[in-house]
Amino acid sequence: MTWQSFFNMSTMEHSHLVIAYIAVWAIQLGYLGWITRQWLRTKGPRN
Amino acid sequence: MPIVIRPAILRNAAWLWFFGALAILAVGFREAIFIAPTEATMGDVQRIFYYHVPSALMGLIFPYVNFFASLAYLYWRRRDPLKALAADALALASAEVTVVFVSIGLLTGMLWARASWGIWWTWDARLTTYLLLWLLYVSYLLLRRFSSSGESNTLAAVISVFAAVDVPIVYMSIHWWRTQHPSPVFSGNGSLDPSMWPAFLWNVFGWGLWGVFIILFRFALERRRQLAEQDDALTAIEASLETAP
Repeated sequence: MTWQSFFNMSTMEHSHLVIAYIAVWAIQLGYLGWITRQWLRTKGPRN
Repeated sequence: MPIVIRPAILRNAAWLWFFGALAILAVGFREAIFIAPTEATMGDVQRIFYYHVPSALMGLIFPYVNFFASLAYLYWRRRDPLKALAADALALASAEVTVVFVSIGLLTGMLWARASWGIWWTWDARLTTYLLLWLLYVSYLLLRRFSSSGESNTLAAVISVFAAVDVPIVYMSIHWWRTQHPSPVFSGNGSLDPSMWPAFLWNVFGWGLWGVFIILFRFALERRRQLAEQDDALTAIEASLETAP
């Protein structure tokens, strides 16, 4: 498979493959981003 | 004497772990998309397998972190409240990460099923028990988030013990019942072709490292919140003592 065939969305098989891979990264990076945001908004301990 | 690790060392180790996981996932992606052969009957859509199975697997491993952390919380909650707080933070972190991985397992499974079976969903034993697992951990998080009871963490820990029972049922479902879901990858009729193992193993390893990193980061966030709450409580007590006659 090549990048071109990976992003070939002409069939359901190919489009679902791309959607699955993008969805996995979107969910994982979205969750990581949420944790990072909460981390920055929570103050550290006094000492 | 307790071992004290300097925050700078922890921070550097976390960055190293994070970039290590990303590098391994990059190799896993390359193996899955560009190196692994195209499966004969399903074609390229079978490549969803390299993200679906590792995510589903992590969704069956991390509930046990939640289970043992919940048991530790139940044991320590009266004996040593500070240790109980740490165990509770770990239980919460692992439950959230479990929901993330199980959600991905369900979503990628549905995308794969629609393209290869022609249906989004079927109520077979593996899919149903896996959905039940997701519902149990979502209930766990909702209970913690919205319960006004002072004992919500204890109730959640009890739910977690029951939720962990579903994990072996999910795992064994394809052995115990005839299902639409394929046979196990590691044994039986569903054995993976040797040329597909590298892509599978790189992704299992990469998502495993990623999952552990996310759990530890979420755990650190929860500890930070707990310590901030303790600080606020101490500040309030100090202020009340200063204003007392």
